[in-house]
Amino acid sequence: MNSVLAIRSETHKERALTQVKLSGRLDASTVGQLERILADAQLAGVRAVVIDMSDLNYVSSSGLRVLLSARSAIRKRNGDIFLCSLGRNVREVFDMVGFSAVFGIFDTPEQALQAADKLIAH
Amino acid sequence: MSSTQSTHSDELLTVPARFDQLRRVTEFVSRQAERAGFAPLERNRIELAVDEACSNIIQHAYADQAGGLIRVRVQTEARSRIVITLVDTGKPFDPGDVPQHDPKANLDDMKIGGLGLYLMRQTMDDVRFEFNVRGRWPREPKRFNRLTMIKDI
Repeated sequence: MNSVLAIRSETHKERALTQVKLSGRLDASTVGQLERILADAQLAGVRAVVIDMSDLNYVSSSGLRVLLSARSAIRKRNGDIFLCSLGRNVREVFDMVGFSAVFGIFDTPEQALQAADKLIAH
Repeated sequence: MSSTQSTHSDELLTVPARFDQLRRVTEFVSRQAERAGFAPLERNRIELAVDEACSNIIQHAYADQAGGLIRVRVQTEARSRIVITLVDTGKPFDPGDVPQHDPKANLDDMKIGGLGLYLMRQTMDDVRFEFNVRGRWPREPKRFNRLTMIKDI
């Protein structure tokens, strides 16, 4: 059982875009890693963050709070966060707390990237 | 004819109240839940409730004191139910004072509180708090807080 969080992230400054892939568990003990990456993206002037959650098998309220506050911060600068490929466990938690109605959630990374590019082009 | 296979189990675990112990507790509880016959999606819900409960204890009950402990008891009846009891000796709180999360509210202003409590109540059938319980010394702490969470299959 995977008890840690692994993050792969890439920032494309020229596109004002950060792509993140999360694997494992996003809880109070691991959420700091994601918080730092999202803060770095903000500093780099990124307007769109695409987060691939296909290999994320667990999220708790700590993870949800960080995602919501990052979304709020980036939207103040006319940006947004785009989530994709949520697994069953994660999707259920998003539905429970009402986040599914708030976040842009896409089935595939391609669709999320398309939406991100559209936002940046504006 | 008697069967040697027990349908009831009762397991205990005590951990330091620290975030790096969260996984130990959720794994411990999840293992008992699996033995009792809870399906993977149900086990994820149980883990979430336990995670949120422990996080609250670490962050709020023991906020300004190091060395606190969380005592975890898991009782199961095979194919029937799981009863999880968490005991701490930190600060009591009034669940009624915690803002109630509303999933239909406007989340844009991000003033979000009570998410953990909300998730515990959503994922478990019964969530019960008791504060300042007088313990039977020396088997129990003199005073403690007890959270009982129950889920039926």
